[in-house]
Amino acid sequence: MSSFGFGLITAAVLAIATVGFTMQFAVTNVLNLAYGSIMINSAFVAYYANVHGVTAWASLPFGVVTGAVASWALNRFVFTPFQRRNLAPITVVIVALGVDLIGTFGLQAIVGGSYVSYRQNTGHEYHILGMFLSGLQLIILAICAVVLVTIHWLLRYTRLGKAMRATSANPNLARNSGVKTQFIISTTWLISGALCGLAGVVFAMNNGVFEATSAQLYIVLLLAAMFLGGPGEPYGAMFGAMVIGLSTEVSAAYVNPQYKEVIAFVALLGMLTFRPYGIFGSEKTL
Amino acid sequence: MSVELSKQGQVLTATGLSAGYDGRPIVSGIDIQATPGKVVSIVGPNGSGKSTLLKSLVGVVRVLDGHVKIDDDDVTNLASEEVAKRGVGYVPQIDDVFPPLSVRENLEIGGYLLNRREVPSRIDAVLEFFPRLKGMMTRKAGKLSGGERKMLAMGRVLMLSPSVLVLDEPTANLAPLVATQLLEEYIRGFADHGSTVLLVEQRAKAALRISDWTYVLGGGRVVLAGAPKDLEQNPAFVESFLGGRPAAH
Ligand SMILES: Nc1ncnc2c1ncn2[C@@H]1O[C@H](COP(=O)(O)OP(=O)(O)OP(=O)(O)O)[C@@H](O)[C@H]1O
Ligand SMILES: [Mg+2]
Repeated sequence: MSSFGFGLITAAVLAIATVGFTMQFAVTNVLNLAYGSIMINSAFVAYYANVHGVTAWASLPFGVVTGAVASWALNRFVFTPFQRRNLAPITVVIVALGVDLIGTFGLQAIVGGSYVSYRQNTGHEYHILGMFLSGLQLIILAICAVVLVTIHWLLRYTRLGKAMRATSANPNLARNSGVKTQFIISTTWLISGALCGLAGVVFAMNNGVFEATSAQLYIVLLLAAMFLGGPGEPYGAMFGAMVIGLSTEVSAAYVNPQYKEVIAFVALLGMLTFRPYGIFGSEKTL
Repeated sequence: MSVELSKQGQVLTATGLSAGYDGRPIVSGIDIQATPGKVVSIVGPNGSGKSTLLKSLVGVVRVLDGHVKIDDDDVTNLASEEVAKRGVGYVPQIDDVFPPLSVRENLEIGGYLLNRREVPSRIDAVLEFFPRLKGMMTRKAGKLSGGERKMLAMGRVLMLSPSVLVLDEPTANLAPLVATQLLEEYIRGFADHGSTVLLVEQRAKAALRISDWTYVLGGGRVVLAGAPKDLEQNPAFVESFLGGRPAAH
């Protein structure tokens, strides 16, 4: 039961990250493989705020802003210029991969290779439904719930959210309806980047200790969760994150936890073989 | 027409127009005009550039030479949202709706440029016009039948009360009866109401029946133009488009 509790928190963190990731992919058409490096960079910015006297939770907005600004800038100054040249989509994927390596090891060059942790205590231990959850873990669950409800509300009920979905489905027709798709895409980078930064900080908090390369393989979990739920499906992303989060942690009770990503990857391969558009997805449906 | 759906028309004019992809022209030397209260149609074989021409008029494809005007307003190479703002409603041949969005959401996006408070009443007006859509407001557009989907595609552009309607093969894939109804009731209706209608249509016979003027496109150029009753007398036209017998010698 304790691995289930662990799995639940892992899944919550992954859900926050995947919702941002899948939204980015659906609206902007960029498979941003640098997502993990932006997560960890955001975590470090929050960490330095924390070290300089800001409480851990108050440092969270620093991470969120870092994620938003970095993602926006990455699109504005790297992806967009490459996309303009009408290169094959694979080029942008390779560029993203390069950015990920630069982002991760550039960070390592700056902060060094040692493990750090936020100055934060994990709070009281609660015994709920047979699981032992710390105060920190409960807060992560609450953040996840708030994020999912907010994104649901944004996409379903707001003008911006509907314009994002329209841009994702048919950009030409969206423009012809008066939607400023470039603006919508930039806004999507900001919002999904904010989720990326948020995910980075809670990921680091949940890990307890972390270093520059801690999120390096996280992209595998993200891809698995996204494809499981269907690319561009925010609800699918939540579902995919639950499945991947729980299965990797629960299986870690039986096999070496180092193989977490391998298990996610096997799930991803199975998924791509049998249901390439995920459980809920049909190609790309934000 | 009981509801004010479309506005009094404006004149849409293209002069010396050439347009295409990647700087290479697909259509060239095009002079066409559509006027209020009239249905002007464009017919021509597959690949003759009909869709490309329409796209260049509404800012989806780049104009390489010549001009597009709405009344006296030069709209050459304006972004397509600017063209929409000036009252031109464009229904593309394919990808004419947002499949994952519900019918209601499709209409809402159609009314994106409106004041938020006007949207519900505009949706009501469009539904009055296409009552069939009423019962399927929460259905995803991707799940509609071909005819329902075309009604939604037209409903989307009607949200902005366009004065000029640019329609690319609105009857493709529709059953003959539905196609006839769409052309003769709805599309002819817009023109009779005073709007400007520019229509690309594969069914030449049906197009001629509702048109006031028809252009024939071939190889990216206007090869023939005239009133339907004159074209019906033209042997070459009859042979190529109306499936008639070759001209007698
Ligand atoms: N996006 C594009 N890029 C390059 N060439 C294109 C593009 N779209 C169309 N073409 C080419 O332009 C030519 C004219 O195409 P267009 O779609 O305008 O023809 P059409 O008259 O509408 O045909 P149809 O009756 O089949 O709809 C074709 O040869 C087509 O291959
Ligand atoms: Mg065409």
